[in-house]
Amino acid sequence: MGRLLQATTKNPGQRIISKGEFLTREGETERNLYYIESGAVRAFLLTEHEEQIIRFGYKGSFINSLSSFLNGSPSPFYIEAIRKTEVRVLTKELLEKMVYENEESMKGYIALLETLAVQQIEREIDILTVSPSERLKRVLERSPTLFQEVPLKYIASYLRMTPETLSRIRNS
Amino acid sequence: MKIKIDAFEKELNSLLEKAVSDAKTLKGFSEDELNHRVSSTSWSALECIQHLNLYGDFYLPEIERIIDLKRYPASDTGYFHTGWLGNYFGNLMKATNDKITKMKSPKDKNPIHSDLNITTIDRFIKQLEKMQLLFSQSKKSNLEKTRIPTSLSPMIKLKLGDTFRFLIYHIERHLLQAMKALSA
Repeated sequence: MGRLLQATTKNPGQRIISKGEFLTREGETERNLYYIESGAVRAFLLTEHEEQIIRFGYKGSFINSLSSFLNGSPSPFYIEAIRKTEVRVLTKELLEKMVYENEESMKGYIALLETLAVQQIEREIDILTVSPSERLKRVLERSPTLFQEVPLKYIASYLRMTPETLSRIRNS
Repeated sequence: MKIKIDAFEKELNSLLEKAVSDAKTLKGFSEDELNHRVSSTSWSALECIQHLNLYGDFYLPEIERIIDLKRYPASDTGYFHTGWLGNYFGNLMKATNDKITKMKSPKDKNPIHSDLNITTIDRFIKQLEKMQLLFSQSKKSNLEKTRIPTSLSPMIKLKLGDTFRFLIYHIERHLLQAMKALSA
């Protein structure tokens, strides 16, 4: 992952987006991987009736619409800045070139994908967890600073509960 | 009023297609333009769309829930008769060309000052697609005997056919309003 970070600093691609701006919209093909230097974003799925947040990205994390990035399909997700955010941009071309450059890079990339795979499994367990307080506990164990980074209403959406329920279980 | 189901289906689908096309046109405008309000009490284009979304949030799940119950199979006459209340609402909503009479909206369907952006329109397009799907499923049910609660009160119900009539004219009306908010 260190090599990926190195690549992003060498790559002149940098973007500053304001709150409400999108890195990716539903239907677009994801061509970039973003490293968040400051600020915060949310990735969400839009249905007829609501926005369902599936993931957050804040300082120090990589984020993109992964399925679209990996297989070229239209992105099912939106990625939106929830406050002013600075990202480093790694294009797919650059990433591929770098990853297959040498064994070290490949190992780094594999390590990143392994981390992501485990995160997805944890997330799947989150969704299947019935107790709201249990879901909150799981997420706080992974991301203890979540409430400093992200507004309550978004955390509630990610946890699949109403903001009222979230306030209630936090206060109890 | 006696309505031929096939003819109504054509009208509904054509209005839905126009709505999708109008929504895509709206996406071409900037967020500033879409949020622009002619006066402090009139709605921006996005507010018009969000108002429609709020109605869809209520009606689409209700329609789906009730037609899934499959209580009354479709009649074989090829026609349905509107109810007096359904007919009243349908005609009330039907925008007559450019003239739109101002009407007060129920408080919980007032979109003013909510946080709106491009996803408001995307959500609306999804609702239109869902409505198209629901209507084709509704044809298997009896459009007169099947009743859908209104958002006014669960005790006030409209015939399924009337609900679609009301919804589609309501959409047409507010889309016209949205386009006007942009050109002003």
